[in-house]
Amino acid sequence: MDGKAAGAPPDFHFYPMDLYDPEDRLHPFPEGATQTGREAYAEMAEEASEPGGVALGKAPRAQEEEVDELVHLYALGGAGEWGSELADGSAPCAEVPEHLPLGAQRDWRGEAGERSCPGWGAAGPGRDLREAYGYAHGRASEEYECYVIPEEEDEDEAALVFCVTCKAPVRALEVSDEHGEHEVTALDKALESAKDEVHKNMFKLEKQILEMENFANHLEEVFITVEENFGRQEQNFESHYNEILETLAQKYEEKMQALGEKKKAKLEALYGQLVGCGENLDTCKELMETIEEMCHEEKVDFIKDAVAMADRLGKFLNTDTDVEITTQPDFEDQTLDFSDVEQLMCSLHTLPAPSAPVINPQAPNSATGSSVRVCWSLYSDDTVESYQLSYRPVRDSAPGKDQAVFTMTVKETYCSVTNLVPNTQYEFWVTAQNKAGSSPTSERAVYMTAPSPPIIKSKEIQSCEEAALICWESGNLNPVDSYTVELTQVETPEASGVTESVVGIPACESLVQLQPRQSYTMSVRALNMGGPSARSDPVTVHTTGSRFPLNQHTCHPWLTVADDGFTVVRSEREAPPKEPLPGNTRFSRCVAIMGNLIPVRGRHYWEVEVDERADYTVGVAFDDVPKEEDLGANRLSWCMRHRFASSRHEYEFLHNKATPGIRITVSPRKIGILLDYENSKLSFFNVDISQHLYTFSCQLHGFVHPCFSLEKPGRLRIRNGIAMPTHVTFY
Amino acid sequence: MALKEISSNKCFEGLQKVFEHDSVELSCKMKFGIYLPPKAETEKCPALYWLSGLTCTEQNFISKAGYQQAASEHGLVIIAPDTSPRGCSIKGEDESWDFGTGAGFYVDATEDPWKTNYRMYSYVTEELPRLINANFPVDPQRMSIFGHSMGGHGALICALKNPGKYKSVSAFAPICNPVLCPWGKKAFSGYLGTDQSKWKAYDATHLVKSYPGSQLDILIDQGKDDQFLTDGQLLPDNFIAACTEKKVPVVFRLQEGYDHSYYFIATFITDHIRHHAKYLNA
Repeated sequence: MDGKAAGAPPDFHFYPMDLYDPEDRLHPFPEGATQTGREAYAEMAEEASEPGGVALGKAPRAQEEEVDELVHLYALGGAGEWGSELADGSAPCAEVPEHLPLGAQRDWRGEAGERSCPGWGAAGPGRDLREAYGYAHGRASEEYECYVIPEEEDEDEAALVFCVTCKAPVRALEVSDEHGEHEVTALDKALESAKDEVHKNMFKLEKQILEMENFANHLEEVFITVEENFGRQEQNFESHYNEILETLAQKYEEKMQALGEKKKAKLEALYGQLVGCGENLDTCKELMETIEEMCHEEKVDFIKDAVAMADRLGKFLNTDTDVEITTQPDFEDQTLDFSDVEQLMCSLHTLPAPSAPVINPQAPNSATGSSVRVCWSLYSDDTVESYQLSYRPVRDSAPGKDQAVFTMTVKETYCSVTNLVPNTQYEFWVTAQNKAGSSPTSERAVYMTAPSPPIIKSKEIQSCEEAALICWESGNLNPVDSYTVELTQVETPEASGVTESVVGIPACESLVQLQPRQSYTMSVRALNMGGPSARSDPVTVHTTGSRFPLNQHTCHPWLTVADDGFTVVRSEREAPPKEPLPGNTRFSRCVAIMGNLIPVRGRHYWEVEVDERADYTVGVAFDDVPKEEDLGANRLSWCMRHRFASSRHEYEFLHNKATPGIRITVSPRKIGILLDYENSKLSFFNVDISQHLYTFSCQLHGFVHPCFSLEKPGRLRIRNGIAMPTHVTFY
Repeated sequence: MALKEISSNKCFEGLQKVFEHDSVELSCKMKFGIYLPPKAETEKCPALYWLSGLTCTEQNFISKAGYQQAASEHGLVIIAPDTSPRGCSIKGEDESWDFGTGAGFYVDATEDPWKTNYRMYSYVTEELPRLINANFPVDPQRMSIFGHSMGGHGALICALKNPGKYKSVSAFAPICNPVLCPWGKKAFSGYLGTDQSKWKAYDATHLVKSYPGSQLDILIDQGKDDQFLTDGQLLPDNFIAACTEKKVPVVFRLQEGYDHSYYFIATFITDHIRHHAKYLNA
């Protein structure tokens, strides 16, 4: 078993590994194993060594032992060992130089005695190694049955160096003559380098071992695969064959039966004829007898009977006697119809048609608004040349209507189907094709396209320092499963912040908790079975101050809101007063409008710019404040009212029609309003001079909204999103 | 000037003390109450001066007004001097409760026998702040003033006569227009003589009309059931009208059901302290 592995390093030979006898594997660091050659050596060595003595401290002895080491190293057991190898097929092992410390010479030798390298099964590598190192001190040839040590002992007095050229240790004295032009190094160095070489080879051997082991494993797997493939083919063949056999058997039976019946028919016919014949015969015989009897009768009777008989005979003989055999004894040639068997036989050596593929359920998040990725699998080893994918939209309408079916042919087991309608269910089914034909269709799977993205109502965002309320239009005609809001803090243009998602939102609005005095980018996705829609157009939300849109549904007909969404105008011209509609959300008496303040308890601050000469009312009110009353005239509203009459400014702070007596000398142009749910307070300020005007203590059991009214034509401008000024924080 | 501590009581983690000293302006021993909030232990605090009304001493405010909690929370040092010089043995000083002892009217008298001792204006605006600044952890740049009735008048005139000295001013039922009310007429004629032009220098309504200074933010609370209001002693409307004219910001609150007493003061003292804190702690 001396083989060369392809691709093995040139100085390293392939060692054959028996797959099924792992115990014979090489142990690169053999310890505790024995080798006959070594034992031989050991015996010799022990003879030569000092029993119990350590070489340390004895210079000449040390040197000799060093030499012995070297010899051992290079010869890897020496000449005698080769011989023994060849004999028992064991090979030397690479010594581990660490096992050769000078000081532990004796130990090493002892170990050597125990060491062996089984499993090589070849003297070849060993021999090659030996040749590589070139040295078998003295006489390294097969002639020697044992390692020859005594020669080294003879040379213990001589200094030794190592000739690299000859790859042999030589006496220093000899250098000049034989090795004068050769490269010579000290023995020590040579020893070192030799040890290194051995190390390297050890390493290579290890690697080789690993590779071989892997290869062996791989082969095992291939074995198994072959078995499996064989098994499959066998089964396939068997089933086909059985089919054929059954068909044949069946045909045989049928044919036999048919023949049998034919035979029966023939026989019956013949039998019938026979019976007829018999009867005829009987009659004939009877007649004959009668005639014979007649002949023996008296003449008169004879003539009477004869006439009768003649009649009878005449009649009888006139009837045809059919002596033709109606039934042929031969059976027709049967044309045996084996065409179907032939077909079966033919299909034996062709591929079977594939079995039905299995269509996968829709993978999550694999759909877009206009496409789905349909996947299926083939759970058999059938050869498939292509697949045919068919689909049609699922509709709730009556099944009688035929929906248009689309079909496409693909080679892979997946297909991205595009040009679909968002938020719609489609039914898919697939068949596999090969030369033998088409598989049965798979089960039908329903895939759904993702929805269209929603559209955020950016003008209706409500926010405060701790939260924001956004609402949106679905963007889809049909319902979706839920919505997801995604928000990112806008820090710097480069930094991409963490995106927070709020999932499972059932309705088209969401109240999201946020950090104060930040900016956020928010967008919404719609979600259905097919996955999420694309992101909606984003909106930016700033959590500075409170922001609220004005609620047009509450707007008195005489008020208009300018395009900026925050200027409220009562024009000079007034429409005739309308009858208040019952249940209306609009103010009908008070020319007012309310805002939609985010329903978050906390502190909210906003400002109103007013005309000094305008008559206005600003404050807060509950949703259900009676719209046919004035603001402040009931318990559901608190407000500050300004009237300018006869050059006098009058201020009232109204709740439930009551106001404290307040005089304000400097008429505010910008009113700051602080709504404090926590402390149940509503405060008003003259922003320009940081003057506190008045604070209501109000029980706020629910959520209130800012309200604004103009008692006379004029305008007011609302300012939102303002952080609370310092002076306000005192309240 | 040597300060003698008369009393000290811990209150809302701060200290309510009373000191006595020899006043140079008033040539007599004067007491004052001073509240030191807990914050004063570690840093200088703003100072808020309270001027009491007729018949009061340094004791009324510190024991009845209930201001210590708000002062403690806002970290304000509150100083409450007496309302007039005491024990000066001036003839007639104890004859009426609204003139002489306990009725200094925060003027510097020019008439005998009052002119030596009755120099409450200088005491309040000069001597006392210097004394306080030198002996207590107060920030000399942050000072405000308020008071009740006669003290309200005092606060208003001190602020109006010293633009920029006080960061804010407020008053409870102040005598707004003394030259036109009985109290004012009696006091001014006694302290200042008959020259009414000298009176106007101590009349808030008049002072506002020529007030040149920076914005003041004035808070005035007035009990609606205050008999002195009905008696025409206080005359806030005149003051308000003048402020409206001059665009001096005032918020004047007419408090339903309240009278002239310390119960009224106690009800709204927190609002006033917050009003001052807004400017002193800004």
